[in-house]
Amino acid sequence: MKTAQRLLSDALIQEKVSEAIGKIFCDREPHAQELLTHALESETDELARDILEDIIDSAALAREERLPLCQDTGLLVVFARLGVDVQLESCLRDTIEQAAAIAWHKYYMRDSIAPDPLRGQLDECEDMRSETDTRLPIVLHLEQVRGDGLSLDLALKGGGAENMSALRMFNPSAKIEEIVEFVVDTVVNAGGRPCPPVIVGVGIGGNIELSAVLAKRALFTNTDERGACYRGFEQDILQRINERGRGVMGLAGSSTALEVRILTAPCHIASLPVAVNLDCHAHRHIQVEI
Amino acid sequence: MKVRNLSLPFSSEIISCLNSGDKILLNGTLYTARDLAHTRLVELMGAGNPSPIPLDEGALFYCGPSPVPPGRVCGAIGPTTSARMDSFTPFLLENGLKVMIGKGDRSSEVCDAIRKHGAVYLVATGGISALLSRCVVSRETFLWPELGTEAVYRYVVLDFPCYVAIV
Repeated sequence: MKTAQRLLSDALIQEKVSEAIGKIFCDREPHAQELLTHALESETDELARDILEDIIDSAALAREERLPLCQDTGLLVVFARLGVDVQLESCLRDTIEQAAAIAWHKYYMRDSIAPDPLRGQLDECEDMRSETDTRLPIVLHLEQVRGDGLSLDLALKGGGAENMSALRMFNPSAKIEEIVEFVVDTVVNAGGRPCPPVIVGVGIGGNIELSAVLAKRALFTNTDERGACYRGFEQDILQRINERGRGVMGLAGSSTALEVRILTAPCHIASLPVAVNLDCHAHRHIQVEI
Repeated sequence: MKVRNLSLPFSSEIISCLNSGDKILLNGTLYTARDLAHTRLVELMGAGNPSPIPLDEGALFYCGPSPVPPGRVCGAIGPTTSARMDSFTPFLLENGLKVMIGKGDRSSEVCDAIRKHGAVYLVATGGISALLSRCVVSRETFLWPELGTEAVYRYVVLDFPCYVAIV
C-alpha cells in the first residue's frame, strides 16, 4: 500500500532555512550560552573572567542589534533527515543553497569561500577560480528516515576551530588512556586558535570519514541523544582538558572547554579511528523541523 | 590585571613597560591583513618596494571583516589565527612592524623576532564582534579591494580591548 506523500515546497524550506540562519548568525545556541554563564561563575582567573564577561556581553548586544557574533560567519553545515513520505519540488541541496544565498545577502554575512582550494597555484585549474556560482557551497549530510517530516540540524562553522580538528587511526589494541591523551592534546595544543572555551566533538569508530562525520555530528547533540555509557568518559576528558590550564582564548584560566560530546559507531576489527572536531564559543547551531 | 589606555604608534619606552597579561584599551589606526594581503605585501617589499602600509605607525590586525550593513560604520570585526601569518612576520618585523593583533600562539621564530625588534603581539577576543565594532570610529578600504574580505582595510579605533601576549 502506498502512503500519501506530503509535499514540501521549495519556498517553505527556503523560508525556514534562511530564517534559521538569520537567528544563529547573531545568537548562539541557548545551551552553549548557559555553559558560558556557568564557566564565568566557576572561573577564578581575573583575565579569563574579563574575557568571558566580554563574550557574554557581546552576545547580548549581537542578539539585540542583530549583528554577527563573529566576522567569520562560517560555512553552512547541514545534517538533514528526510522522511520517505516527503515529496520535494527540487533537490534538497539546491533549495538549501538558495536559502543560504538569501540569508548571506540579507544579513551581510562574509563571503568566506575560496572556490579553488589551492589558491591558483595550478595553472590547469584556472576554471575553478573563475567559478562564481559556487561561492556558497554547503556541506550537506543527508539521511533518509521513516515518516513525512524534514528535520534539519544547521550550523555556521567558523574556520579557526575547524582548522584545529584532528583524526588518528589507532590500533584496535590502543588503551583508552591513549585516546584520552589524543583528545586532550588536540584541544590543549590548539591554544587560542579555535577561540576557547570550545565544545569538543569526538567520533570513535566507523571508518575514516564516518569518524569525522560522527565528531561533527556530536557537536549538534545534547546529553540525552548520546550514549549514557560514555557520560563518565566525556566528563573525565573535559576535566583533563581544563586541568591543563590553557584557558579562555588560550590566555588564562581553567575554562578551555565547555563540554565534550562523544558519538561512536562499530568499526572493522583492524581499525579504531578517532576524530576530534572543535567548535568555538560562538556555537551557532539550530534545529529546524518542517 | 593591569589595564592601560594606550595610543598608537607605541614608543620603545611604552613597549618596554608592557607585560604579558596586561589589558590594553587601544586607540589609533589598525590595518587589516590576513593570508592573501600578507603574501602580496611581502612579495612587493621583497622586490625592493617600500611598504604601502605604514608598518611603524599603525597596528597590523589579522582580520577579515564582514560587509558593512547600511547605516553602520563597519561590519563585524575580530581576530583570525595569527599563526598562519608566522612565515611572513619576521621579515615584516625587520622592516619596521611594531604591533600585531590576532589570536593564538606564534612560532618560536616569531617570538624571538618580536623581542629582537622591540615589538609586541596583542591578542583580541574572537567572537565578540558586536562589542569590537562599537570601538570603530571610521573604516575605509585601504589597499587591494579586489581581495574582498582579504583586502587591507584601515580602521580608526577607540578603547579597542586586547591583551599583551608576547613582548
